[in-house]
Amino acid sequence: MKRRRFLQAAAAPMILAETPLAKEPEPAVPAYRIVSRYKPAAKPGMPGPYPGHVVRVHAARSIDAETEKIDATVVRDMIARGMTALTGDSDPRDSWARFFSRDDVVGIKVNCSGAPGIMSSPEVVAEIVRNLGTIGVKPGQIYVYERFKSQMDSVHYDRYLPPGVNLWAAEESRGSVLGYDPATYVDVNFFGEEDTRSNLVRLVSERFTKIINMPNMKDHGAAGVTGCLKNIAYGDFSNVARSHRREKTNTYSFIGTLASVEPLRSRTVLQVMDGLRGVWHGGPFSPNRKFRFFPKEMMFGTDPVALDRILIDIIDGKRKAEGAMSVWNRSMANVKPGRGYDDNPNIDRFIREPGHIEYSSRLGLGMYDIAKFKIRKIEL
Amino acid sequence: MFALLAALLATGIFWDQPPETAPVLKQAGIEHIYVAPAQQQEWKQKGYEVNAFDASAFEKLLAPGVQYRMDVASATTVPWIDANGWRIQRDGPKKYFYDVPKGRASLAAAEAFVYGADAVIHPDREDLQMLAHMLVFVKQNQRPRLPVMANIGVMDDGSAATGEVLNLLARRNLLFKIVREPDPALNLNIRIGSPEYPKQEAADPYAFAQKVREQLTDEKRLIRIFGSSVVLAHLTGDRGQARLYLLNYSNRPVDGLRVRILGSYPHGDVAASGIADPKLADYNAGQEATEFTLPRMNTVAVIELRR
Repeated sequence: MKRRRFLQAAAAPMILAETPLAKEPEPAVPAYRIVSRYKPAAKPGMPGPYPGHVVRVHAARSIDAETEKIDATVVRDMIARGMTALTGDSDPRDSWARFFSRDDVVGIKVNCSGAPGIMSSPEVVAEIVRNLGTIGVKPGQIYVYERFKSQMDSVHYDRYLPPGVNLWAAEESRGSVLGYDPATYVDVNFFGEEDTRSNLVRLVSERFTKIINMPNMKDHGAAGVTGCLKNIAYGDFSNVARSHRREKTNTYSFIGTLASVEPLRSRTVLQVMDGLRGVWHGGPFSPNRKFRFFPKEMMFGTDPVALDRILIDIIDGKRKAEGAMSVWNRSMANVKPGRGYDDNPNIDRFIREPGHIEYSSRLGLGMYDIAKFKIRKIEL
Repeated sequence: MFALLAALLATGIFWDQPPETAPVLKQAGIEHIYVAPAQQQEWKQKGYEVNAFDASAFEKLLAPGVQYRMDVASATTVPWIDANGWRIQRDGPKKYFYDVPKGRASLAAAEAFVYGADAVIHPDREDLQMLAHMLVFVKQNQRPRLPVMANIGVMDDGSAATGEVLNLLARRNLLFKIVREPDPALNLNIRIGSPEYPKQEAADPYAFAQKVREQLTDEKRLIRIFGSSVVLAHLTGDRGQARLYLLNYSNRPVDGLRVRILGSYPHGDVAASGIADPKLADYNAGQEATEFTLPRMNTVAVIELRR
């Protein structure tokens, strides 16, 4: 018997009463030069038709925390309930049809950087592909994609997806520029590096008409957390690790800047955050199982800022519960590059920049003020 | 096929193996070598064209390549490149000698070709076949040399400090040439020890090169390379044409390289070692600059550009 609980209210932040960023000067924003021949759509996909709206679906039976086995039937129900709650339709097909048509070429931006410990779960990806099929999108028009082939191969999505769905990685060999659009990039010089360009994934500009963003719920040593914005930004551009070479990183402004580049911004029409698993320290990777947890939740929306704003509370709340310092901690005393970060949640490699989410809101990517959100919680 | 190959080129091979190894050379198609004076007669009797090798007559160069020094603190994570182009540009026409370990002989031959150096290479025996292939590529791409194109003039005082600045400029593809007096046609003219470029600044050649880059600005740079930190460029040309040489100093192919060259060159062709029928991709000749992608690169590529 499913227990259903609907809440529509402004969610109270769990622990986020203060943000040190408010007390400190805003991190310096480098001079970015965006080069793109693409114009924004009349209604860009981000923040899309539902700014500030977030549907949170929790299902205790979605994943077994011991075996990490996912129940695909529960996932199907979670996605159906999440999508219909987002759009207000009663039939999931109507919900999906609000975003996609049979002519669309759809890119599904998965996150595999933490695989095999955490990734966009193949069961969730498969269910999304199935839903696209119900509205006439053929397998050959669907691309599950990621930047690094080695990471994506480790997940074996092919074992879960119907024949014909494309699996594609921008970098078959690390550092290759061939999977990127040479004419769409952000040019910025962070520290005197020679290669100052970060180019957009070529399929985003040349092939996809729509994109579904599928991040996880993860801590991130440089960005604070990695959710929708980080996945769609750093996951769709080349040469981005240069932004966090030093203790004080440029993730604060770089993430939102990349996410705002056309046509990425206009074509990313749906955010589905896979929080069946989570990582509360050590992210974006997950070599240490003791830092994984199981929110057993998925979030749905079109506003990446809103979903990520909630993600901050989820990750920071878990860190607090585990006795770890906040993602908002900016003390250099805790920053010890190469010294114990992987095993100690009170050691950082960088000063974290969860403020990248609020910064992104100022670029028009979504709403940050949680008091104005419409959050719908569903319990299965 | 490779008969007298080395003799036709400015690049020679120093072979210190005994004459019994003649079949190895034959298999590689090499019939002209430098040998130790004591072995000269014996090799001649085997039908080889030989020259006696006298190391004192040559200036020794570094074995070219990349050092991935992960355990050494540095300002960047960019690997250290051992390259000789700056020395060849500085020292001019001399006889050079490469004594290279296994795996580097082809790169040494390519480097000598790119900078027009008269060089003798002492290869590892196992590299001979690859070296022979490189010498074929070099022969096929021999053209009358064009003037060096540069943004920066360096008035060379011959000091070690200036040499290290030249090295760092070359490593960052900040194209320079050696000048006696300031050349107003260049964007920058540098004399180490002048008020604008004091000697104490040159003591940190990395920071010095960074300063030069900032003064020049990236927009005015003749060449920019995106997608690799181990490829160095040498640009020559005049009037309506430019010839760009690219050298990959790593021991792995580069999968995709984006090049921006200042100026509009609507036509471009490429020759790349070890790659049959290479093509430039995503070619875009704008008003200010021309850009293209080299989809794959082994050791060396030569790109001919025309207006």
